Amino acid sequence: MSRTVGTDTLFTTARTGAVLAGGKRGLSPVLILVLALLGTWQVASAGWIHAKAALAQHLIASAWSGARDGGPARRPWPWADMRPVARLTVPSRGVSLYVLDNADPRALAFGPAHVSGTAAPGAAGNSVIVAHRDTHFAFLRKLAVDDEIDVEGARGAVARYRVRDVSVVDKGETRVLEAADAPVLTLITCFPFDAVRPGTRLRYVVVADRVG
Amino acid sequence: MQGSAARQQIRIQEALGDFARLVAKAFFGGIGVAVLMSLAILALSANVQAAGINDAKAGTLLIKDPSVDGGYAPAPQVATEVAIDVTGMIARTRVTQTFHNPGSGFVEGVYVFPLPEKSAVDRLWMRIGTRVIEGRIREKEEARRTYEQAKSEGRKAALVEQQRPNLFTNAVAHIGPNEAIEIRIEYQQALAYDNGTYKLRFPLAVTPRYVPAASEVVPDEPKAVEAQSLEPGETLLQPAYEPQAPEGCGPLNAVDIAVSIDAGVPLGSVTSSYHETVIEKAKGGPTMISLVKDQEEADRDFELTWTLAPGKAPQAAMFTQTKGDNEYALLMVVPPQPTAAERATFERMPRETILIVDTSGSMEGVSMDQAKAALGMALDTLRPSDRFNVLEFNSNMRTWLPYAVPASSSNIEQARAWVQKLRAGGGTNMAPALKFALDGTDTPGYLRQVVFITDGGVGNEDELFKLIVQRLGSSRLFTVGIGSAPNAHFMTKAAQYGRGTFTYIGDVKEVQEKMSALFAKIEAPVLRDVSIRWPDGTPVETFPPRVPDLYLGEPVLVAAAAKAPLGTVVVTGLRGNQPWSVALTPPPDRNAAGVGALWARAKIASLMDTLAQGANLDTVRPQVVNVALEHHLVSAYTSMVAVDVTPTGPTDGLKTAMVKAVLPQGYVGGSLPQTDTAATLQFLLGLLALSAAAIVTLIGRRGTRLA
Repeated sequence: MSRTVGTDTLFTTARTGAVLAGGKRGLSPVLILVLALLGTWQVASAGWIHAKAALAQHLIASAWSGARDGGPARRPWPWADMRPVARLTVPSRGVSLYVLDNADPRALAFGPAHVSGTAAPGAAGNSVIVAHRDTHFAFLRKLAVDDEIDVEGARGAVARYRVRDVSVVDKGETRVLEAADAPVLTLITCFPFDAVRPGTRLRYVVVADRVG
Repeated sequence: MQGSAARQQIRIQEALGDFARLVAKAFFGGIGVAVLMSLAILALSANVQAAGINDAKAGTLLIKDPSVDGGYAPAPQVATEVAIDVTGMIARTRVTQTFHNPGSGFVEGVYVFPLPEKSAVDRLWMRIGTRVIEGRIREKEEARRTYEQAKSEGRKAALVEQQRPNLFTNAVAHIGPNEAIEIRIEYQQALAYDNGTYKLRFPLAVTPRYVPAASEVVPDEPKAVEAQSLEPGETLLQPAYEPQAPEGCGPLNAVDIAVSIDAGVPLGSVTSSYHETVIEKAKGGPTMISLVKDQEEADRDFELTWTLAPGKAPQAAMFTQTKGDNEYALLMVVPPQPTAAERATFERMPRETILIVDTSGSMEGVSMDQAKAALGMALDTLRPSDRFNVLEFNSNMRTWLPYAVPASSSNIEQARAWVQKLRAGGGTNMAPALKFALDGTDTPGYLRQVVFITDGGVGNEDELFKLIVQRLGSSRLFTVGIGSAPNAHFMTKAAQYGRGTFTYIGDVKEVQEKMSALFAKIEAPVLRDVSIRWPDGTPVETFPPRVPDLYLGEPVLVAAAAKAPLGTVVVTGLRGNQPWSVALTPPPDRNAAGVGALWARAKIASLMDTLAQGANLDTVRPQVVNVALEHHLVSAYTSMVAVDVTPTGPTDGLKTAMVKAVLPQGYVGGSLPQTDTAATLQFLLGLLALSAAAIVTLIGRRGTRLA
């Protein structure tokens, strides 16, 4: 009985001490730790987005070389639910990207993606490719009219496009996805490029005609 | 020794303290600037985003127009008023679309809108101020030429075209600045009657159609189906989509619906499935139903169901209309419901059930939850003597197992786990799944049923119909429509070709009820070998030509045309194993409005169906045009056009704007993909948090030292 009371008292004292210490300086280490962890986590997530974007492209590169040699495109990693369907290069800007087959948010983290339902890259019709504005398609802001874009499809066939038009549209303007008779390449990303908050309503659209 | 060491320590501490204060000042200055800059960036980025869409206030729609300052002009808006009059079995609907141009120049408005799949559109009026111009039915090309000519002459004109049997466009030329033009369209439809309940549906949203990039069905397909089916890569005149209006703003394209039901007998219950309505029942008069919020956003289909007062439900009904040399008739016969004892005597064969679920991108959201719930229900109804398999399709097809297996409890549990993991994404490529399920084989001793759960967002409908016709064998195809705006035309037709039925589930809450009703129904047909005996010697053309087997609660519904006045008609069939028959006598009043139009619509649908079965377009087209022109109906080859007499607009430079259609509720596609990440935001937030941590550290240090 008395021992129990003793333990209780001991605990109470220890707790009071901790609270007192917290009042003076015990709180700040906790706050610092929380803030530091939060900060590190946020910076790391930001870094992870960029790292994933860069790393995935390397993994996809090896999957692509198989497809180009005529075989079926492999999955870049065993659990991936996408395959590379084309390689997009802009020689003048030193850009080389592998395009994935399905434009869902998960795939977009790893590379530009072809919008299903639009013409295949390099084929007749309007072929639409989308990618993130802050990773793979950050270079779109530098593209100007008359710049040349190469798209290598399956089996190594290369189609060359020349930029015809660059515009900014609202995200509701699905007409940019509409079919065309001539071979056209449409690249879409979010706008503005250096917006801080995600979820913008605007899209940056680059339209290029096939020239070779 | 000790003292000097202590003094030295104090000096060092003082020096360090000075240094620390200096560093702290620099650091705080830096932090302050960083924080201010971050805040400024956040604020500026908000401004940048606002500046791009600052023209779009209160749900205003914009069209691209380089001649206008800022590059955008407001697009015309459409307010829709729907008035539906129900008399007996027939509903006549007046759709009034008021096009309003809020801009400062003349524009042409093009509005894509859905109508029920069997609607017979036969009237068009255009009202400009007090003048009313009635539309005429013309062959499609001629109607378009008439419209284009009027447009080039600066005259107002309206053109109603059928894009597909349940999707129409209305183009209105020369809507003046701040002017409103009223377009009124009228159509007829026969009501759906099932299990004692009448059902009326008015579609309000268009599900975007997906046409697979490469044709994978019937590769040697001739051009015969061009009238309805899209070639891969070709676009249907796609409605432009605008997400919901911003909060606090009115709906974009408002819809007001009012229904009047005159059944001749008192009504039982009246239910609006998905909208809040006011229902006024008047004694002896029609029952009036109207939407509570008279400005309803057009994002989910309106469905009204009602029953007749107990004991008043019809067992048989016949309506006739004399038009020209012909007499047209519409008959409905409801076979009596079997009692529980009778049902037990109906033979129950074991079933082989193949469940197909659409997991394409258009199913994402609420639709996918409904589909999973529906699959769960379907698995619940299986008995150990049954066999089953499950498959999903989007751009690709994936099966649970390569073949059907007995419905043992362990198999069902495994299938259930597989279903739970399904996720929506990708295109809608139905053909491989249909091919797999309809393999033309027959499992002896089993009733083979394919249950197909989808929102029907496809554009290559005719290819799929052809596939169903070719490969059905002895299977039956039951379609289950999911989501706020399934493509009812596709699913009704697919079920018709598949000799099954179509069930529509518009709400997660209905899954249980509708799926159990479906499975109770398809256990065994209630009436088989139905035939109709017309008075001797009268040549009669009926639709459907052959009455299908009837499942529980389904009526016989037949439209007929005869060269001579009709007498008593006898409907016979096998109910269970007993012969059953009923005689129908035409009512004395032989002028039921709309019966002729309904027959003509059924005939057109039947002619169009022959295309899917391989008939030649060149022979079918003139037949459709003849029927459509005679009955004044809009069809795949005939359009309705109204032209104003006096020119009121400019003769050139008319701007065309697609009026934005509303996307079905719960649909997340329809806009360009979102392609930004939170990386920048996260980076800045992280820096801020780290800086704050550093500040607190410093304050903490100083506090300690001072104490």
